[in-house]
Amino acid sequence: MKNIKRVIATVLVAVFTLGNLGVVSAQDDNVINLWVQYSEESAEGQVMVNSAKEFNETNEEGYVVEVSYVPRSGSGGGYEDVINAALTTNTMPDVFTLDGPNVAAYANSGMLQPIDDYVSNKEDILPSIIDQGTFDGQLYAAGYSESGVGIYYNLDMLEEAGVDLSTLPTVSEPWDWNQFNELLETLYAHYNKPVLNMGFDDQSEWLLYAFAPYIWSAGGEITNEEGTEAIGVFDSAENTSAFEFIQSLVKNDYSTITPVEYGFHTGEYALFMSGSWTMQQLDSEYKDINYGVMPYPVSPDTKELVSPTGSWAYGMSTTTDNPEAAGALIDFLMSEEQLYNMSMGNSVLPARQSVADRMMEEVSEPMKVLIEQNTTSGKARPKLVNYPQVSRTFQQTVTESTYFEQNPDIKSLLERKAQEIQSYLAQ
Amino acid sequence: MEINATARKKQLKENISGYLFLSPAFIILGLFLFIPTLMSIYYSLTDYYMLTPDKTSFIGLDNFKKLFNDPLMRQSILNIFKFVILIMPIQVGTALGLALLVNNQEKHTIIYKIAYFSPVVMSLVVVSILWLYLLNPSSGLINQVLMKMGFESQPFLSSPNQAMITIVFVSAWQGAGYQMLIFLAGLQNIPNEVYEAATIDGANRWEKFSKITLPMLKPTSILILTTTLIDAFKLIIQPMVMTQGGPLNSTLTPAYYIYRTGFTDRFVGYASAMTVIYGAIIISFTVIQRKIVGGDGDE
Repeated sequence: MKNIKRVIATVLVAVFTLGNLGVVSAQDDNVINLWVQYSEESAEGQVMVNSAKEFNETNEEGYVVEVSYVPRSGSGGGYEDVINAALTTNTMPDVFTLDGPNVAAYANSGMLQPIDDYVSNKEDILPSIIDQGTFDGQLYAAGYSESGVGIYYNLDMLEEAGVDLSTLPTVSEPWDWNQFNELLETLYAHYNKPVLNMGFDDQSEWLLYAFAPYIWSAGGEITNEEGTEAIGVFDSAENTSAFEFIQSLVKNDYSTITPVEYGFHTGEYALFMSGSWTMQQLDSEYKDINYGVMPYPVSPDTKELVSPTGSWAYGMSTTTDNPEAAGALIDFLMSEEQLYNMSMGNSVLPARQSVADRMMEEVSEPMKVLIEQNTTSGKARPKLVNYPQVSRTFQQTVTESTYFEQNPDIKSLLERKAQEIQSYLAQ
Repeated sequence: MEINATARKKQLKENISGYLFLSPAFIILGLFLFIPTLMSIYYSLTDYYMLTPDKTSFIGLDNFKKLFNDPLMRQSILNIFKFVILIMPIQVGTALGLALLVNNQEKHTIIYKIAYFSPVVMSLVVVSILWLYLLNPSSGLINQVLMKMGFESQPFLSSPNQAMITIVFVSAWQGAGYQMLIFLAGLQNIPNEVYEAATIDGANRWEKFSKITLPMLKPTSILILTTTLIDAFKLIIQPMVMTQGGPLNSTLTPAYYIYRTGFTDRFVGYASAMTVIYGAIIISFTVIQRKIVGGDGDE
């Protein structure tokens, strides 16, 4: 009798367990796991919460997205550690966000699968977004926003220093480095301290993202087009002139390598090189700062305006069990309405032309400057498989150039760094 | 014969019980120490790249050859030796000094213990961020105080010459409280009669300290010196949070370089080779230190 009871109990446990597994399996087929690199509480996170809810309620196939918010630090640390851990344990989600410059490495290693067939209305997506997400002729990642950087200026501080605001540059008529230096000289003479925060203390992807346009404006590059050569490219005369300009900003004390945090926001600095994200902060928390945005200064030799582009994108992992569901989610998140919500909610530049046109009617003048600068002069960062190492070398070059006493000779600094980049390209 | 068999059975049962009690510790050590060590040694002989684990192949000693020609590895080892040479006397000396101060207090010793120990309970990340603000050359409190006293503002973490020594002081500030408690326990184990006898013999404070306190603290000191040395070689959080290894690689440590190579650059094979070599360096220095200071201190 005791044995019969044991057998019945075992069978019942087996039935319930297998039954539950069956139920879970049935649910899992329609569940799409999405990992994102921000917190749920952030502006981006709040937009995603609404997007996920809308997707779950409106899609006809019954797909359900479960979003995991994994806030990153700096240029991806924290979040990318989670991605790395998932790679080694083969537990990648169906869809995940990745920073634009990582597309080449991830696609080359087989982590991502092409999403050309899933993203609709690609003609409306900005060319820079398509370019960022394309590797070897196929689209692997769809950027959900663009980005832009400009020089924020404090109108009151400029006026106080005697600057004629009507002469400030525009996207169609940007200043060159010499004209920009004249402004800095005027401000420095009045305030007798550094007047420009360029974020030299931000030891992250910022240093390549924001400073590469200076070398590009001068006609320089980081590597050759194929991404195989840096010697003779990175240490070119054009790049030397750009880094000498950057070095001069610190050497002349116009900018500082140790800026006061929120210095522009609190009226410490008259100028601040930063992205569109600063507008949200200023508009919500520092309303007494009367500000505008001017475009990048350009090389006096070429007069060519170049600005940074690129941001985070959605990618589909090759290990997903349901590419159709994952593709449907990416397509939904890349729709005009969702991209509009993301751009407006997060104060970021749009990834679709239709969204850009819509936003130009609704955004502030500073944001219009960034959108216009982005669409007319945006240049994507190089797509290299060893991008993290090349980027770090570029970042260190920017930092080391600001230590002008230790590195008075920019040309030889660039020659050393070109060798370093070359070694990474060879791997 | 029967008695022997019974005794052997009893001994065997006791042995099995003993091993069973030890097994959780062995399992944990195995999972988190022995197996990862063996895996590291294996990976160090391969070209394991994190994004393509399936394409890993055996490359022999190539990683080690590359390592011996790596200028950043050399720089990081020089940096860590600088850190170790500075932190040992500063942190251990501070801990001993605080312990002597607290030991000489007659009242409210608990307040002093809490005050000196409180940095230890803060996470190193929090401590690093806190000091980042305090040491800011433009707006940090330390420079505000220095300038009020008539000194010039110091670059601290933004100077290649000052960054490492700044990290030494931050680390000593954070860690000294813990060693203070250990020294305090050692001090309180020294019988008072020994000091009384020395007083009767006419010994002054310095003689009591050098001829009684220090020798009787030897076992405690050996423990503290060994653990401080090993902890010092593991320096990673402070440079990661405060300086990212800069400026100009002056605070790049082997542990941080290994982390960056393995997890940011994803070259797990090369990073594993670094850990093998660095582990051997740490073990060698620990053994040398024990030989110099004395093994068990049972004198």
